[in-house]
Amino acid sequence: MRRLSHAYLALVLAFLYLPILVMVVMAFNRSALYELPFTFDLVWFKALAGNERLLAASWNSIWIAACNAVIATFLGTLAAMAFARYAFRGKQLMQILLFPPITIPWLIIGTSMLIFFFWTGIGRGLHAILLGHVALSLPYVIVVVGARLQSFGPALEEAAATLGATPVQTFMRVTLPMIAPGVVAAGLFAFAVSFDQFVISYFLAPPGTSTLPVEIYTAIRKGFTPEINAVSSIIIVISMGLMLAVARNYRFGGE
Amino acid sequence: MALPPRQRVEVFALTAPAYLWLAATVFLPLVAMVYFSFLTAVPVGGRTASFTLAHYISFFTKPIYWFNAWRSIELGIYVTAISLLVGYPAALALSRHVKGRWREAIFLLIILPFWSNALVRTFSWTMVLRQPLNLLFTYPAIVIGLVHAYLPYAILTSYISLQAIDESLIEASRSLGATTLQTFFRIILPLSMPGVLAAIFLIFVPVIGSFMEPRILGGKDAIMLGPIIEGQFTAAFNWPLGAALSFMMLAIVLLMLALAAPLLRRQLGSS
Amino acid sequence: MPFPTVSRRLFMSLLGSAAALSALRPAAAAEGELKVLNWQGYGTDEKWALEIFEKKTGLKVVHDYFNSEQEMLTKLRTSPGVYDVVLMNNIYVMDAVSEGLVQPIDIGKITNFNDLTPALRDSERFVKDGKHWAMSWVWGLTSFAYNTQKIHERPDTIQVLWDPAHAGRVGWRDDALESIQLAALATGQDMNHPADLDRIKTKLEALKPQIKTFWSSEDEWNKYMAAGDYDVAVYWSGSAARSKKAMKLPVDFVVPKEGAIGWFDGLTIAAKAPNPDGAAKFIDFMVSPEFYVRWDTDVGAPASANAKANAELPPDAMNRAILGDPEVVKRVQWMAPLSDEQRQKNQELWDEVKTKLAQ
Repeated sequence: MRRLSHAYLALVLAFLYLPILVMVVMAFNRSALYELPFTFDLVWFKALAGNERLLAASWNSIWIAACNAVIATFLGTLAAMAFARYAFRGKQLMQILLFPPITIPWLIIGTSMLIFFFWTGIGRGLHAILLGHVALSLPYVIVVVGARLQSFGPALEEAAATLGATPVQTFMRVTLPMIAPGVVAAGLFAFAVSFDQFVISYFLAPPGTSTLPVEIYTAIRKGFTPEINAVSSIIIVISMGLMLAVARNYRFGGE
Repeated sequence: MALPPRQRVEVFALTAPAYLWLAATVFLPLVAMVYFSFLTAVPVGGRTASFTLAHYISFFTKPIYWFNAWRSIELGIYVTAISLLVGYPAALALSRHVKGRWREAIFLLIILPFWSNALVRTFSWTMVLRQPLNLLFTYPAIVIGLVHAYLPYAILTSYISLQAIDESLIEASRSLGATTLQTFFRIILPLSMPGVLAAIFLIFVPVIGSFMEPRILGGKDAIMLGPIIEGQFTAAFNWPLGAALSFMMLAIVLLMLALAAPLLRRQLGSS
Repeated sequence: MPFPTVSRRLFMSLLGSAAALSALRPAAAAEGELKVLNWQGYGTDEKWALEIFEKKTGLKVVHDYFNSEQEMLTKLRTSPGVYDVVLMNNIYVMDAVSEGLVQPIDIGKITNFNDLTPALRDSERFVKDGKHWAMSWVWGLTSFAYNTQKIHERPDTIQVLWDPAHAGRVGWRDDALESIQLAALATGQDMNHPADLDRIKTKLEALKPQIKTFWSSEDEWNKYMAAGDYDVAVYWSGSAARSKKAMKLPVDFVVPKEGAIGWFDGLTIAAKAPNPDGAAKFIDFMVSPEFYVRWDTDVGAPASANAKANAELPPDAMNRAILGDPEVVKRVQWMAPLSDEQRQKNQELWDEVKTKLAQ
């Protein structure tokens, strides 16, 4: 049974990584048109080093995604607590309000944000993009942390309360450790949602500034070369490194 | 349910920041779109606009809209179902049959694909689908591409819930003579339902509005409500119709949720 | 227990990011900058050209792109004071004028004015109340191109797109207006006011076995042609020049006996442009032979509205050989502006066709 499980996991991982492997391999292939046979060459990485536009966009993306992850996780975890531990009038309505950011096509949200920000003077810019990204990440955070809170139940927290802990103490010392995997996962989701978010960034980016997905999209429209693969591969490697570093300090496996 | 004042303050403090943010960035802008959806045209550039329900009605009367809405929902169902069928067992395997450092490593490996750019990933899929598999520009290609993109959500949310299940419950069940299968259906599955439901929310809803992956992988088969709505903004200047169609889609999703709610309540209630 | 420290760190980073948030304010428009809004890769962003322009005027050009004409209009409507030069297909210019989105161009600042073909330059699509609201820049045709290695005899009819010999290897663009206009040409109708839309719809639905996939950018077209997905595909004349010359693909552009769709683009100055003088200089540079000849020769471009520039092209250049041929130009039907209602009807028809094509 165990061996079956391991084999199955391996299969699933293989499926998940198939296109990523293709993507990374092609970053090292000399052909600009993605043609085989494979010839090893670092030309695309060299080209990437000189591509200021792509590098600046990548940096913007990382910065925005990091801010987004922190803000969205913080706001979303609080809201998730309210949903999971309290029963109140209007709860269902508020939960339903989480649907629009995810259901309504981003194109519409993007257009309406563009117009609204124009009316209110917020305008286009990296700050506008961040505003948009946090809004899009919130439902994910609330749902993921919420699922964790649901599965755990309030028993421990109630116990802490009867022992005299204040709500804040209960949160910091009982709830947070308990839901930590959910919170961290939500943070990672939020980062990924922002980092990969294209439509909103596209609408709200001012001329001359851009984020990585927008640059990739424009490159794809114009004629993309494996430079895109190169930058994507680098990002994967860096994320892997970051995750390993985080994993060292904190156990997701949770035990 | 009226809460004691102190709890009311707590709830407000917990939810206000997030919802204020959402109000300012999503709800208020969407209110403008809702307003537009009841107009005959966007009131710009000398156009006169009058109130109309025509856009909403056309959803029901014009087959291109309701038929393609169905196509989108169908796609959503396929992708969600397949993602869960593939992902839940993987989460199960990860939470029950893998221990220690390996578990963390695999957890991270599952998250990692999120950090690659979706467009580049999708284009990499076109290479794989074109040559060995020859599936490019077909409906199955769209499903494969979307399942690949959303599978991590299914695995992760299921895993997080499975992980929270108290091991002692399972041991207790075993010691009372239940078989593995019985333990699974009566203890594990119900207790992990929140994770499954989270997965459904995070997968089904975005998929029905998607238009990037269908377009790149599906060729002619990519026509669905998402691309049609996109067309109202990028090809025709008919925001009212595009907005109305999107809100109809939102309404359908909420309707499906409302219909499934009794079922869900029963599931959650049993845990 | 690591938690209290993690959450304290969390709070600190939150404060930090709030501070950083305020640092992410957009920079004010820099002096000596010109903002241009155009399709990507459509001439105004040629690196060498911008270098020459910067040397001449000291102005640095920053680009923003759009992927559809509706997007261009949305950007113009929601970003006043952001753009200087905006590319506009002629069929949109008068609408933009009535919405107050563009300002008249001082023709005194356009040194190449007298060399521009009057038919385009003084077109009623660009000129109103004696003022020039856009400067005619380039023109081209939409028709089809074929793979010369797969098809050996040059096709002379648009029906080749419906030829069962090329089933599953035809390329098409997902665009309502273009599709309807091509079908109008194929059924012998006036493409701007087709009399029989049902016939057009049936004709388009007949493409079901033909189309391999839709292309939406020049690059996709090139990649599908190179991969052998297409034998013949709908395309634009300027892009065909680029695919042939810059990408070295074995393709040739055809204007069949039924005719082709003609279009012409102009460069406009946005109503609240921060730098209208610089904008005029840029437009002047874009219509000059100095820019155009090198653009077409090195890269490939649509035909120039500057007759003198066109005449300076080598005789075998596509723009001289095909588009310069008066017999060809006679067969061209020129795109006309549409009302929102017409555009909506077209969109519906095309959506219905696409739904049929997918079943």
